[in-house]
Amino acid sequence: MASRVSLKSKGKSGKGSKGAEDKSTVQHLKEWSTWTMKKAKVITHFGFIPLIIIIGMNSEPKPQLYQLLSPV
Amino acid sequence: MAGIIPPVSDASKQQSGKPAEKVDYLNLPCPIPYEEIHREALMSLKPELFEGLRFDFTKGLNQKFSLSHSVFMGSTEVPSQSSETIKVPSANYEFGANFIDPNLMLIGRVLTDGRLHARVKWDLSENLTLKANAQLTNEPHMSHGMVNFDFKGKDYRSQLQVGNGALVGANYIQNVTQHLSLGGEVFWAGQHRKSGIGYAARYETDKMVATGQVASTGMIALSYVQKVSEKVSLATDYMFNWLSRDVTASVGYDYILRQSRLRGRIDSNGCTAAFLEERLNMGLNFILSAEIDHKKKDYKFGFGLTVG
Repeated sequence: MASRVSLKSKGKSGKGSKGAEDKSTVQHLKEWSTWTMKKAKVITHFGFIPLIIIIGMNSEPKPQLYQLLSPV
Repeated sequence: MAGIIPPVSDASKQQSGKPAEKVDYLNLPCPIPYEEIHREALMSLKPELFEGLRFDFTKGLNQKFSLSHSVFMGSTEVPSQSSETIKVPSANYEFGANFIDPNLMLIGRVLTDGRLHARVKWDLSENLTLKANAQLTNEPHMSHGMVNFDFKGKDYRSQLQVGNGALVGANYIQNVTQHLSLGGEVFWAGQHRKSGIGYAARYETDKMVATGQVASTGMIALSYVQKVSEKVSLATDYMFNWLSRDVTASVGYDYILRQSRLRGRIDSNGCTAAFLEERLNMGLNFILSAEIDHKKKDYKFGFGLTVG
């Protein structure tokens, strides 16, 4: 939320310095959704497999850490 | 580029309460997954043929969690417009992690070039399931993702799909009699400005399954599978596109024996294929794959080993 607010204020000040055009709410929404999708893609790309591993290592019965790396 | 093939409706459960077949992702390297109406025909006629060496090792850490390591060395086909096939030799290693719980299933595979295939299936409640499927790459604009919401009613199923590129689809299938189920689907692809509607029907008894599907993208697909005995199934498949005038018919067999499974088929394009999985030992499977395309003079042979 805080990051969204800061992005909005940055955007607005940028526009103020440019003058002239005013972006509509719809365009703001599009920009934010694109930004969110990009961040979500990066997070999923790097974090999905670690997420599965964390969930798996915490499920019962708890496997040991060496089992993760050894081929036996 | 081929037209987008619409998602297929899936089979639903009977009014008597016989357990329903769950919609299942076939993990094909394809942005839009196929649903299960053609399942028997797909299983018998379209095994995962490959060319080269394949080695898969799955290691279970506990009942629900397992890791998989997979090595592939061989040629992969690059789609080309001309009649010649272009093959690119490639070798890759794929690491995967699976977590399978009654309510939650997470499957992830990552390749050495950074591509990620992710599948999530989450049973939010008894009747509502959330599924997500994504293929993410480092190249821009080449990633795909899709989220499905499935609702299972007493004798019907409905599904809503939302994917990237403004793809929205919905499908519905209803069991009409003991053996017959009918369904329909609509989809809209914003990026390609295409929309489509399709209908599907499936007639199933203990001995045979017949399905038919029609779509406004010009595709008609019919299939028939006969279970001749416990171990032997025969299947045939017919696909016709009235816009591109493309016809393919194939006939195949599926022998499920105690120690092995052999599938073979022959096509109207002059292509024959066979796929053998032999169980050498507990947890050790040997795989042979062959595909001979007489028309294009393309011969593909592959062998592999699956452990675990």
